[in-house]
Amino acid sequence: MELFLQRLVDGLSEGSVYALIALGLVIIYRGTGHLNFAQGEMALFCAYVVYQLGEWGIPIGFAVILGMVVGFVIGATAEVALVRPIAKKSPFAVFIVTIGLFQFLNWLDGAIWGGQSLPNTGVGSKQLQYPSLFPNKPDDFVTVFGADIKIQSLGVIGLVLVLTALLFLVFNRTRLGLAMRAVAANTESSKLVGIKTSTVLMASWGIAAAIGALGGVVFAGINTNVNLGLMFTVFIYASAAATLGGFDSPGGAVIGGLTIGVIQNMTAGYADEWVGQEMKVGVAFLVIVAVLLVKPSGLFGTSKVERV
Amino acid sequence: MTLFRAQGLTAGYGPVTVLHSIDVEVNEGEIVVMLGANGAGKTTTMRAISGVIPRQGIIELEGRSIQKAGPDVIVRGGVAQVPQGRGTFPELSVEDNLRAGAYIRRDGSAGVTADINKWFGVFPRLAERRAQRAGSLSGGEQQMLAIARALMSRPKLLLCDEPSLGLAPLITQELFHVIERLNRDEGLSVLLVEQNANLAMHMASKVYLLETGRVVASGSAAELGADDAIRKAYLGF
Repeated sequence: MELFLQRLVDGLSEGSVYALIALGLVIIYRGTGHLNFAQGEMALFCAYVVYQLGEWGIPIGFAVILGMVVGFVIGATAEVALVRPIAKKSPFAVFIVTIGLFQFLNWLDGAIWGGQSLPNTGVGSKQLQYPSLFPNKPDDFVTVFGADIKIQSLGVIGLVLVLTALLFLVFNRTRLGLAMRAVAANTESSKLVGIKTSTVLMASWGIAAAIGALGGVVFAGINTNVNLGLMFTVFIYASAAATLGGFDSPGGAVIGGLTIGVIQNMTAGYADEWVGQEMKVGVAFLVIVAVLLVKPSGLFGTSKVERV
Repeated sequence: MTLFRAQGLTAGYGPVTVLHSIDVEVNEGEIVVMLGANGAGKTTTMRAISGVIPRQGIIELEGRSIQKAGPDVIVRGGVAQVPQGRGTFPELSVEDNLRAGAYIRRDGSAGVTADINKWFGVFPRLAERRAQRAGSLSGGEQQMLAIARALMSRPKLLLCDEPSLGLAPLITQELFHVIERLNRDEGLSVLLVEQNANLAMHMASKVYLLETGRVVASGSAAELGADDAIRKAYLGF
């Protein structure tokens, strides 16, 4: 029981990070139909920025907010300067552009903060000690039903839940949210009701990258170190989370992320003998394939309902 | 008084020019009908007026040029479009579709809610389905929703792109009655493009005939109806 609870909470907190990156992927996908391959690297760059701000003596809480602002600017700029002009010529090329952005950002991180760029990161690559948003000393835990639950894990889960609730309100109760949903549903009609679709798309990319920045900081904090390979696997899991939840459903992205985090930790914990740390990813993907066989649009994705 | 005027309106897609310098005029309080077969350039005309595709020529609303204006400025200026094939937001609820229609308004949610209820009164079937996703409505209901959504911006000029498309004649008739009533009771000016000449002609104060991107005839419904060749080709009697 104690072990189960610990694994559950660890899984949820790790899954929270996948959820944040997946949320960014979904917001961009809903707006423009593109998969932003650079989502994880944007987050990593912001995580480094927050690290740097910390080095300069800025308190972590304030640094995170600044990091999210930097994220917003990067996301919005990428949409306006790179994605939009290229999407006009060829929507498919956008995918390549986001891969290019992925490599550029990783190189940039290395140039500024040092370390071996992808795909050569690994043991021996430069690690920078990373501050945690929440208390993370060995004795910072609470005991629930005999299980020692890390305060950091609870903090991360709480943060993601609050952010999700906030996003839900923005989507469903604000003018910007209505505009974002309208653009996702029908771009031409959005223009016809007077929505500036270009502004909405820019804001979508900005918000996605700002949320991702938070994910990067949180994950680096859990990891206690930041290095150039940090967000690569996270990005893969986040893509899987978005697929599992349904690529057009923000709520689905969060549930998908949490689910993958929990499955990973449970299988690695309980089926250690024949699954183990190395194969825990495989189990998560098996579950996803099984779900998609039954529900191709993901758990909460909308299969297109349209009567003509 | 002239509400809308286009002179030498030319538009197309990339290297292809679809509209070759057409002239259109809508006076305040008029219903103007533009007739044309498939591919005549009806939808292109509508999209050019709304500013969602690049266009050249003189385009004026209430005497002011909107040639360089983007779609949002044009909606703010008082031109709303009901696009072809309804163009609703399928994943949004009926009510959210209407709220999106009021996107440009700044008069607060009370005024918007009052208007939503007003159009629910005109289209009671939408009221019954207010929380339902627009994509699940029938074709006729979606067309009603598209019209109500356009009206939510409180336009002076309503552009209707083939509202009869894919609808049963009885439903088309019902829709046209609503448009006529809005024109009579609220002074709404309408520019309506149609293939379905018989239903549209009798409410028109002016008719344009569009053929491969050019206006080939224009005049009152009676004048065009008197021309044998036009009557045979377009009115089928």
